Amino acid sequence: MIVLNRITFSYPGATKALFKDLSFSFKEGRFYLITGPSGAGKSSLLRLITHLESPDSGEILFQGKPVLSYDLPGIRNRILYIQQTPTSISGSVRENLLFPYAYKANKKKQVPDDQILLGAMNGFMLKDINLDDHVETLSVGQLQRICIIRGLLLDPQVLLLDEPTSALDPESRRIVEDSAENFIKGEKNTVIMISHQSVTPRRVTPVVLEVRDGRIKEVSS
Amino acid sequence: MNTGIMDIGPVQLGIALMFVVIAGAASIYHSLKLERDLLVGTIRTFAQLYIMGYVLKLIFRLNTASLVIMIFAFMIIFAAWTIHGRIKEKQISFFTPVLISMLISYFLVAFLVTRVVIGVDPWWTPRYFLPLGGMVIGNSMNAIAIALERLLNELRSGRKEVEMKLSLGADYKEASRSMFGNAIRAGMIPSINSMMAVGMVFIPGMMTGQIVAGADPMLAIKYQIVVMIMLVGSTTIGTLIAVLITRKLCFSKNHQLLLTRQNKH
Repeated sequence: MIVLNRITFSYPGATKALFKDLSFSFKEGRFYLITGPSGAGKSSLLRLITHLESPDSGEILFQGKPVLSYDLPGIRNRILYIQQTPTSISGSVRENLLFPYAYKANKKKQVPDDQILLGAMNGFMLKDINLDDHVETLSVGQLQRICIIRGLLLDPQVLLLDEPTSALDPESRRIVEDSAENFIKGEKNTVIMISHQSVTPRRVTPVVLEVRDGRIKEVSS
Repeated sequence: MNTGIMDIGPVQLGIALMFVVIAGAASIYHSLKLERDLLVGTIRTFAQLYIMGYVLKLIFRLNTASLVIMIFAFMIIFAAWTIHGRIKEKQISFFTPVLISMLISYFLVAFLVTRVVIGVDPWWTPRYFLPLGGMVIGNSMNAIAIALERLLNELRSGRKEVEMKLSLGADYKEASRSMFGNAIRAGMIPSINSMMAVGMVFIPGMMTGQIVAGADPMLAIKYQIVVMIMLVGSTTIGTLIAVLITRKLCFSKNHQLLLTRQNKH
Protein backbone atom coordinates (compact mmCIF):
# COMPACT_ATOMS: atom_id res chain seq x y z
CA MET A 1 0.00 0.00 0.00
CA ILE A 2 2.80 2.39 0.93
CA VAL A 3 6.25 1.77 -0.45
CA LEU A 4 9.40 3.62 0.53
CA ASN A 5 11.69 3.36 -2.41
CA ARG A 6 15.37 4.07 -1.66
CA ILE A 7 14.70 7.04 0.58
CA THR A 8 17.56 9.25 1.68
CA PHE A 9 16.71 12.04 4.06
CA SER A 10 18.58 14.44 6.28
CA TYR A 11 17.46 17.58 8.09
CA PRO A 12 19.02 20.83 6.83
CA GLY A 13 22.31 21.47 8.58
CA ALA A 14 22.60 17.90 9.89
CA THR A 15 25.98 16.27 9.31
CA LYS A 16 24.61 12.75 8.97
CA ALA A 17 21.66 11.46 6.93
CA LEU A 18 18.77 10.18 9.02
CA PHE A 19 17.85 7.61 6.37
CA LYS A 20 20.12 6.41 3.59
CA ASP A 21 18.76 4.35 0.72
CA LEU A 22 15.88 3.12 2.88
CA SER A 23 13.32 0.82 1.29
CA PHE A 24 10.29 -0.72 2.96
CA SER A 25 6.82 -1.85 2.02
CA PHE A 26 3.75 -1.30 4.24
CA LYS A 27 0.95 -3.68 3.31
CA GLU A 28 -2.82 -3.23 3.30
CA GLY A 29 -4.87 -4.28 6.30
CA ARG A 30 -1.94 -4.34 8.73
CA PHE A 31 -1.31 -2.67 12.03
CA TYR A 32 2.30 -1.50 12.15
CA LEU A 33 3.83 -0.53 15.43
CA ILE A 34 6.98 1.53 15.16
CA THR A 35 9.47 1.45 18.01
CA GLY A 36 13.03 2.66 18.33
CA PRO A 37 15.20 5.05 20.33
CA SER A 38 14.51 8.81 20.50
CA GLY A 39 15.91 10.67 17.53
CA ALA A 40 16.04 7.54 15.37
CA GLY A 41 13.61 9.14 12.92
CA LYS A 42 10.26 7.57 13.80
CA SER A 43 8.32 10.82 13.47
CA SER A 44 10.34 11.85 10.42
CA LEU A 45 9.32 8.58 8.78
CA LEU A 46 5.62 9.43 9.17
CA ARG A 47 6.21 13.02 8.07
CA LEU A 48 7.98 11.74 4.96
CA ILE A 49 5.10 9.40 4.11
CA THR A 50 2.62 12.27 4.23
CA HIS A 51 5.11 14.63 2.56
CA LEU A 52 5.30 17.17 5.33
CA GLU A 53 9.01 16.59 4.67
CA SER A 54 10.52 15.69 1.31
CA PRO A 55 13.18 13.03 0.89
CA ASP A 56 16.53 14.18 -0.55
CA SER A 57 16.28 11.28 -2.97
CA GLY A 58 14.06 8.30 -3.57
CA GLU A 59 10.28 8.26 -3.67
CA ILE A 60 7.24 7.21 -1.68
CA LEU A 61 4.51 5.29 -3.47
CA PHE A 62 0.87 5.02 -2.51
CA GLN A 63 -1.10 2.28 -4.28
CA GLY A 64 1.65 1.94 -6.86
CA LYS A 65 1.90 5.62 -7.75
CA PRO A 66 4.26 8.26 -6.33
CA VAL A 67 2.54 10.26 -3.59
CA LEU A 68 3.65 13.42 -5.40
CA SER A 69 1.69 12.43 -8.49
CA TYR A 70 -1.54 12.88 -6.51
CA ASP A 71 -3.00 16.26 -5.62
CA LEU A 72 -1.10 16.82 -2.41
CA PRO A 73 -3.68 18.42 -0.11
CA GLY A 74 -6.11 15.78 -1.43
CA ILE A 75 -3.87 12.81 -0.68
CA ARG A 76 -3.16 13.96 2.87
CA ASN A 77 -6.75 13.23 3.89
CA ARG A 78 -6.29 9.66 2.59
CA ILE A 79 -2.90 9.15 4.25
CA LEU A 80 -3.77 10.99 7.42
CA TYR A 81 -1.11 11.97 9.91
CA ILE A 82 -2.05 12.76 13.50
CA GLN A 83 0.59 14.62 15.49
CA GLN A 84 1.92 13.57 18.85
CA THR A 85 0.75 16.78 20.54
CA PRO A 86 -2.99 17.18 20.15
CA THR A 87 -3.48 20.42 18.25
CA SER A 88 -6.76 22.28 18.12
CA ILE A 89 -8.14 25.54 16.85
CA SER A 90 -9.69 28.00 19.27
CA GLY A 91 -13.39 27.17 19.43
CA SER A 92 -15.94 24.55 20.38
CA VAL A 93 -15.61 20.79 20.07
CA ARG A 94 -18.00 20.90 17.11
CA GLU A 95 -15.91 23.57 15.34
CA ASN A 96 -12.80 21.48 15.93
CA LEU A 97 -14.40 18.41 14.41
CA LEU A 98 -15.88 20.19 11.41
CA PHE A 99 -13.35 22.82 10.26
CA PRO A 100 -11.57 20.47 7.80
CA TYR A 101 -14.77 20.25 5.72
CA ALA A 102 -14.25 23.86 4.64
CA TYR A 103 -11.08 22.83 2.78
CA LYS A 104 -11.25 22.37 -0.98
CA ALA A 105 -9.84 18.85 -0.72
CA ASN A 106 -12.71 17.84 1.59
CA LYS A 107 -15.52 19.72 -0.19
CA LYS A 108 -17.04 16.55 -1.64
CA LYS A 109 -17.23 14.87 1.73
CA GLN A 110 -20.55 14.87 3.56
CA VAL A 111 -20.38 17.10 6.63
CA PRO A 112 -21.29 14.87 9.59
CA ASP A 113 -24.31 15.98 11.60
CA ASP A 114 -24.41 16.25 15.40
CA GLN A 115 -25.74 12.70 15.74
CA ILE A 116 -22.73 11.26 13.91
CA LEU A 117 -20.35 13.43 15.92
CA LEU A 118 -21.92 12.39 19.22
CA GLY A 119 -21.90 8.74 18.13
CA ALA A 120 -18.18 8.94 17.33
CA MET A 121 -17.50 10.65 20.64
CA ASN A 122 -19.44 7.98 22.53
CA GLY A 123 -17.23 5.37 20.87
CA PHE A 124 -14.25 7.16 22.35
CA MET A 125 -15.81 7.38 25.83
CA LEU A 126 -16.42 11.10 25.54
CA LYS A 127 -20.09 10.90 26.55
CA ASP A 128 -19.74 13.69 29.12
CA ILE A 129 -18.51 16.20 26.59
CA ASN A 130 -20.88 18.55 24.86
CA LEU A 131 -20.33 19.62 21.24
CA ASP A 132 -20.61 23.24 22.36
CA ASP A 133 -17.90 22.90 25.01
CA HIS A 134 -14.80 24.96 24.36
CA VAL A 135 -11.79 22.74 23.63
CA GLU A 136 -9.80 24.58 26.29
CA THR A 137 -11.94 22.88 28.92
CA LEU A 138 -10.79 19.40 27.76
CA SER A 139 -7.95 17.39 29.23
CA VAL A 140 -5.00 16.39 27.02
CA GLY A 141 -6.33 12.86 26.76
CA GLN A 142 -9.80 14.04 25.76
CA LEU A 143 -8.36 16.45 23.20
CA GLN A 144 -6.16 13.72 21.74
CA ARG A 145 -9.26 11.59 21.25
CA ILE A 146 -11.09 14.52 19.59
CA CYS A 147 -8.12 14.90 17.21
CA ILE A 148 -8.29 11.19 16.34
CA ILE A 149 -12.07 11.37 15.80
CA ARG A 150 -11.53 14.41 13.55
CA GLY A 151 -9.10 12.39 11.46
CA LEU A 152 -11.25 9.24 11.35
CA LEU A 153 -14.34 11.18 10.26
CA LEU A 154 -12.47 12.13 7.09
CA ASP A 155 -12.39 8.43 6.26
CA PRO A 156 -8.68 7.98 5.45
CA GLN A 157 -7.15 4.78 4.09
CA VAL A 158 -3.93 5.03 6.03
CA LEU A 159 -3.72 6.36 9.56
CA LEU A 160 -0.33 7.60 10.73
CA LEU A 161 -0.35 8.00 14.50
CA ASP A 162 2.62 9.69 16.13
CA GLU A 163 2.73 8.40 19.71
CA PRO A 164 -0.98 9.01 20.24
CA THR A 165 -0.97 7.42 23.68
CA SER A 166 2.11 9.00 25.23
CA ALA A 167 0.16 11.59 27.23
CA LEU A 168 -2.81 9.37 28.01
CA ASP A 169 -3.97 7.52 31.09
CA PRO A 170 -4.37 3.71 30.75
CA GLU A 171 -8.12 3.98 30.07
CA SER A 172 -7.73 6.56 27.26
CA ARG A 173 -4.81 4.58 25.92
CA ARG A 174 -6.89 1.44 25.60
CA ILE A 175 -9.65 3.35 23.79
CA VAL A 176 -7.21 4.85 21.28
CA GLU A 177 -5.59 1.46 20.66
CA ASP A 178 -9.00 -0.15 20.21
CA SER A 179 -9.97 2.51 17.69
CA ALA A 180 -6.76 1.97 15.71
CA GLU A 181 -7.51 -1.74 15.73
CA ASN A 182 -11.12 -1.19 14.62
CA PHE A 183 -9.92 1.06 11.84
CA ILE A 184 -8.25 -1.85 10.00
CA LYS A 185 -11.16 -4.23 10.44
CA GLY A 186 -12.16 -3.74 6.80
CA GLU A 187 -8.69 -4.94 5.69
CA LYS A 188 -8.47 -2.06 3.24
CA ASN A 189 -6.92 0.27 5.74
CA THR A 190 -3.52 0.45 7.35
CA VAL A 191 -2.34 1.89 10.63
CA ILE A 192 1.23 2.92 11.24
CA MET A 193 1.60 3.90 14.85
CA ILE A 194 4.61 5.04 16.80
CA SER A 195 4.62 3.87 20.38
CA HIS A 196 7.20 3.62 23.13
CA GLN A 197 4.92 1.34 25.07
CA SER A 198 3.92 -2.12 23.94
CA VAL A 199 0.41 -2.48 22.58
CA THR A 200 -1.66 -5.59 23.06
CA PRO A 201 -4.56 -5.44 20.67
CA ARG A 202 -6.96 -8.30 20.99
CA ARG A 203 -7.96 -8.99 17.41
CA VAL A 204 -5.09 -7.74 15.29
CA THR A 205 -1.51 -8.69 15.94
CA PRO A 206 0.70 -5.72 15.16
CA VAL A 207 3.76 -5.93 12.96
CA VAL A 208 6.41 -4.50 15.24
CA LEU A 209 9.10 -2.52 13.47
CA GLU A 210 12.19 -0.99 14.93
CA VAL A 211 13.69 2.17 13.45
CA ARG A 212 17.36 2.34 14.30
CA ASP A 213 20.50 3.64 12.58
CA GLY A 214 18.53 4.70 9.50
CA ARG A 215 17.03 1.25 8.94
CA ILE A 216 13.63 -0.36 9.51
CA LYS A 217 13.83 -3.81 11.02
CA GLU A 218 10.90 -6.13 11.49
CA VAL A 219 11.02 -7.31 15.08
CA SER A 220 7.93 -9.49 15.13
CA SER A 221 4.67 -10.11 13.31
CA MET B 1 9.17 78.37 0.49
CA ASN B 2 6.77 81.00 1.82
CA THR B 3 7.89 84.05 3.65
CA GLY B 4 7.83 84.16 7.41
CA ILE B 5 9.31 80.71 7.98
CA MET B 6 12.06 80.79 10.59
CA ASP B 7 15.40 79.14 9.97
CA ILE B 8 16.86 76.59 12.38
CA GLY B 9 20.55 77.17 13.04
CA PRO B 10 23.21 74.67 14.13
CA VAL B 11 22.88 75.70 17.78
CA GLN B 12 19.12 75.07 17.76
CA LEU B 13 19.67 71.68 16.11
CA GLY B 14 22.16 70.90 18.86
CA ILE B 15 19.64 71.84 21.54
CA ALA B 16 17.08 69.51 19.89
CA LEU B 17 19.60 66.71 20.30
CA MET B 18 19.14 66.98 24.07
CA PHE B 19 15.97 64.89 23.70
CA VAL B 20 17.96 62.03 22.22
CA VAL B 21 20.46 62.33 25.08
CA ILE B 22 17.58 62.01 27.55
CA ALA B 23 16.31 58.91 25.72
CA GLY B 24 19.85 57.44 25.72
CA ALA B 25 20.25 58.09 29.45
CA ALA B 26 16.90 56.40 30.14
CA SER B 27 18.01 53.44 28.05
CA ILE B 28 21.25 53.06 30.00
CA TYR B 29 19.52 53.54 33.36
CA HIS B 30 16.88 50.91 32.63
CA SER B 31 19.27 48.57 30.71
CA LEU B 32 17.09 48.75 27.60
CA LYS B 33 20.15 48.39 25.31
CA LEU B 34 18.71 50.95 22.93
CA GLU B 35 21.52 53.48 23.19
CA ARG B 36 23.50 52.13 20.22
CA ASP B 37 20.41 52.10 17.97
CA LEU B 38 19.50 55.60 19.19
CA LEU B 39 22.95 56.88 18.33
CA VAL B 40 23.03 55.23 14.91
CA GLY B 41 19.45 56.37 14.26
CA THR B 42 20.27 59.97 15.12
CA ILE B 43 23.39 60.03 12.96
CA ARG B 44 21.46 58.49 10.08
CA THR B 45 18.59 60.96 10.50
CA PHE B 46 21.02 63.85 10.18
CA ALA B 47 23.03 62.35 7.32
CA GLN B 48 20.11 61.03 5.30
CA LEU B 49 17.99 64.19 5.62
CA TYR B 50 20.88 66.51 4.81
CA ILE B 51 21.69 64.44 1.74
CA MET B 52 18.02 64.41 0.80
CA GLY B 53 17.81 68.20 1.20
CA TYR B 54 20.69 68.76 -1.19
CA VAL B 55 19.44 66.11 -3.62
CA LEU B 56 15.95 67.62 -3.67
CA LYS B 57 17.35 71.08 -4.30
CA LEU B 58 19.31 69.71 -7.23
CA ILE B 59 16.38 67.74 -8.63
CA PHE B 60 14.02 70.71 -8.40
CA ARG B 61 16.53 72.71 -10.38
CA LEU B 62 17.19 70.02 -13.04
CA ASN B 63 13.47 69.06 -13.29
CA THR B 64 13.76 65.95 -15.52
CA ALA B 65 11.40 62.93 -15.52
CA SER B 66 14.09 60.25 -15.69
CA LEU B 67 15.91 61.67 -12.68
CA VAL B 68 12.69 61.90 -10.62
CA ILE B 69 11.77 58.29 -11.46
CA MET B 70 15.28 57.11 -10.69
CA ILE B 71 15.28 58.82 -7.30
CA PHE B 72 11.85 57.39 -6.51
CA ALA B 73 13.03 53.89 -7.47
CA PHE B 74 16.11 54.35 -5.29
CA MET B 75 13.90 55.35 -2.34
CA ILE B 76 11.84 52.18 -2.83
CA ILE B 77 14.94 49.97 -3.06
CA PHE B 78 16.23 51.53 0.15
CA ALA B 79 12.86 50.92 1.86
CA ALA B 80 12.83 47.27 0.75
CA TRP B 81 16.38 46.93 2.06
CA THR B 82 15.38 48.49 5.38
CA ILE B 83 12.51 46.00 5.74
CA HIS B 84 14.88 43.18 4.88
CA GLY B 85 17.35 44.32 7.54
CA ARG B 86 14.68 44.83 10.19
CA ILE B 87 13.15 41.37 9.89
CA LYS B 88 16.41 39.39 10.05
CA GLU B 89 14.87 36.40 8.31
CA LYS B 90 17.46 33.78 7.41
CA GLN B 91 15.37 31.08 5.76
CA ILE B 92 13.08 32.92 3.38
CA SER B 93 14.52 35.26 0.78
CA PHE B 94 11.75 37.78 0.23
CA PHE B 95 13.75 40.86 -0.79
CA THR B 96 13.35 40.74 -4.59
CA PRO B 97 9.64 39.85 -4.79
CA VAL B 98 8.76 42.41 -2.11
CA LEU B 99 10.83 45.04 -3.91
CA ILE B 100 9.04 44.38 -7.20
CA SER B 101 5.62 44.59 -5.57
CA MET B 102 6.61 47.84 -3.86
CA LEU B 103 7.91 49.34 -7.11
CA ILE B 104 4.68 48.57 -8.96
CA SER B 105 2.18 49.54 -6.25
CA TYR B 106 3.95 52.73 -5.13
CA PHE B 107 4.47 54.04 -8.64
CA LEU B 108 0.81 53.41 -9.32
CA VAL B 109 -0.43 55.14 -6.15
CA ALA B 110 1.98 58.09 -6.45
CA PHE B 111 1.03 58.56 -10.10
CA LEU B 112 -2.72 58.44 -9.38
CA VAL B 113 -2.44 60.96 -6.58
CA THR B 114 -0.24 63.50 -8.39
CA ARG B 115 -1.84 63.21 -11.81
CA VAL B 116 -5.49 62.34 -11.17
CA VAL B 117 -6.26 63.66 -7.67
CA ILE B 118 -4.08 66.78 -7.44
CA GLY B 119 -3.87 67.22 -11.21
CA VAL B 120 -0.18 68.09 -11.43
CA ASP B 121 1.12 68.42 -14.97
CA PRO B 122 3.48 66.80 -15.72
CA TRP B 123 2.67 64.09 -13.13
CA TRP B 124 6.32 63.65 -12.17
CA THR B 125 6.82 67.30 -11.13
CA PRO B 126 9.43 66.68 -8.40
CA ARG B 127 7.99 69.18 -5.89
CA TYR B 128 4.83 67.05 -5.66
CA PHE B 129 5.83 63.58 -6.79
CA LEU B 130 8.82 63.03 -4.54
CA PRO B 131 7.47 64.23 -1.16
CA LEU B 132 4.10 62.51 -1.69
CA GLY B 133 5.75 59.36 -3.03
CA GLY B 134 8.16 59.45 -0.11
CA MET B 135 5.25 59.48 2.34
CA VAL B 136 3.73 56.49 0.56
CA ILE B 137 7.00 54.58 0.86
CA GLY B 138 7.69 55.55 4.46
CA ASN B 139 4.25 54.57 5.75
CA SER B 140 3.97 51.36 3.75
CA MET B 141 7.48 50.38 4.69
CA ASN B 142 6.51 50.30 8.36
CA ALA B 143 3.28 48.47 7.63
CA ILE B 144 5.02 45.87 5.47
CA ALA B 145 7.76 45.33 8.04
CA ILE B 146 5.21 44.87 10.85
CA ALA B 147 3.05 42.56 8.74
CA LEU B 148 5.92 40.38 7.51
CA GLU B 149 7.42 40.09 10.95
CA ARG B 150 4.04 39.04 12.33
CA LEU B 151 3.48 36.55 9.53
CA LEU B 152 6.86 34.87 9.96
CA ASN B 153 6.59 34.80 13.76
CA GLU B 154 3.08 33.35 13.68
CA LEU B 155 3.96 30.72 11.10
CA ARG B 156 6.93 29.71 13.24
CA SER B 157 5.08 29.63 16.54
CA GLY B 158 1.98 28.13 14.92
CA ARG B 159 3.90 25.50 13.03
CA LYS B 160 2.03 22.65 14.72
CA GLU B 161 -1.33 24.18 13.89
CA VAL B 162 -0.35 24.76 10.25
CA GLU B 163 0.91 21.20 9.86
CA MET B 164 -2.19 19.82 11.59
CA LYS B 165 -4.33 21.62 9.00
CA LEU B 166 -2.12 20.48 6.12
CA SER B 167 -2.46 16.92 7.42
CA LEU B 168 -6.24 17.25 7.31
CA GLY B 169 -6.26 18.24 3.63
CA ALA B 170 -5.72 22.00 3.75
CA ASP B 171 -3.68 23.65 1.02
CA TYR B 172 -1.06 26.14 2.14
CA LYS B 173 -3.48 29.08 1.89
CA GLU B 174 -6.14 27.35 3.96
CA ALA B 175 -3.57 26.19 6.52
CA SER B 176 -2.20 29.70 7.05
CA ARG B 177 -5.41 31.72 6.71
CA SER B 178 -5.53 32.92 10.31
CA MET B 179 -1.83 33.90 10.31
CA PHE B 180 -2.30 35.73 7.03
CA GLY B 181 -5.25 37.72 8.40
CA ASN B 182 -3.42 38.58 11.62
CA ALA B 183 -0.39 39.79 9.67
CA ILE B 184 -2.42 42.06 7.40
CA ARG B 185 -4.35 43.46 10.35
CA ALA B 186 -1.16 44.11 12.32
CA GLY B 187 0.30 46.01 9.37
CA MET B 188 -2.85 48.00 8.69
CA ILE B 189 -3.87 48.97 12.21
CA PRO B 190 -1.42 51.91 12.59
CA SER B 191 -2.72 53.50 9.36
CA ILE B 192 -6.34 52.98 10.35
CA ASN B 193 -5.66 54.32 13.86
CA SER B 194 -4.09 57.42 12.30
CA MET B 195 -7.27 57.98 10.30
CA MET B 196 -9.29 57.75 13.50
CA ALA B 197 -7.11 60.12 15.48
CA VAL B 198 -6.10 62.63 12.81
CA GLY B 199 -7.07 66.19 13.64
CA MET B 200 -8.38 65.13 17.07
CA VAL B 201 -5.25 63.79 18.72
CA PHE B 202 -2.53 65.07 16.45
CA ILE B 203 -1.88 67.38 13.53
CA PRO B 204 -0.16 65.27 10.90
CA GLY B 205 3.41 65.97 9.88
CA MET B 206 2.66 67.13 6.37
CA MET B 207 -0.06 69.51 7.46
CA THR B 208 2.13 70.82 10.27
CA GLY B 209 4.87 71.47 7.72
CA GLN B 210 2.54 73.31 5.38
CA ILE B 211 1.03 75.44 8.16
CA VAL B 212 4.45 76.27 9.64
CA ALA B 213 5.56 77.18 6.12
CA GLY B 214 2.66 79.64 5.93
CA ALA B 215 0.01 77.75 3.93
CA ASP B 216 -3.72 78.29 4.45
CA PRO B 217 -4.97 75.64 6.93
CA MET B 218 -7.95 74.89 4.66
CA LEU B 219 -5.63 74.05 1.80
CA ALA B 220 -3.42 72.08 4.17
CA ILE B 221 -6.34 69.90 5.34
CA LYS B 222 -7.34 69.06 1.77
CA TYR B 223 -3.83 67.88 1.04
CA GLN B 224 -3.85 65.98 4.28
CA ILE B 225 -7.11 64.20 3.43
CA VAL B 226 -5.69 63.14 0.10
CA VAL B 227 -2.50 62.01 1.82
CA MET B 228 -4.34 59.99 4.47
CA ILE B 229 -6.44 58.19 1.88
CA MET B 230 -3.41 57.67 -0.33
CA LEU B 231 -1.49 56.21 2.60
CA VAL B 232 -4.25 53.79 3.52
CA GLY B 233 -4.51 52.73 -0.13
CA SER B 234 -0.80 52.24 -0.66
CA THR B 235 -0.37 50.54 2.72
CA THR B 236 -3.17 48.11 1.92
CA ILE B 237 -1.85 47.27 -1.55
CA GLY B 238 1.80 47.11 -0.47
CA THR B 239 1.12 45.02 2.65
CA LEU B 240 -1.26 42.67 0.88
CA ILE B 241 1.12 41.93 -1.99
CA ALA B 242 4.17 41.60 0.28
CA VAL B 243 2.39 39.24 2.68
CA LEU B 244 0.90 37.17 -0.14
CA ILE B 245 4.29 36.73 -1.77
CA THR B 246 6.12 36.00 1.47
CA ARG B 247 3.51 33.49 2.58
CA LYS B 248 3.92 31.65 -0.70
CA LEU B 249 7.68 31.60 -0.19
CA CYS B 250 7.21 30.02 3.24
CA PHE B 251 5.70 26.90 1.66
CA SER B 252 7.03 24.51 -0.94
CA LYS B 253 5.05 23.64 -4.04
CA ASN B 254 4.10 20.45 -2.20
CA HIS B 255 2.35 22.48 0.51
CA GLN B 256 5.05 21.93 3.12
CA LEU B 257 5.90 24.61 5.65
CA LEU B 258 9.53 25.46 5.00
CA LEU B 259 10.11 27.61 8.10
CA THR B 260 11.72 25.69 10.90
CA ARG B 261 11.04 26.51 14.54
CA GLN B 262 14.28 28.44 14.82
CA ASN B 263 15.24 31.11 12.36
CA LYS B 264 18.43 29.37 11.17
CA HIS B 265 19.94 26.87 8.70
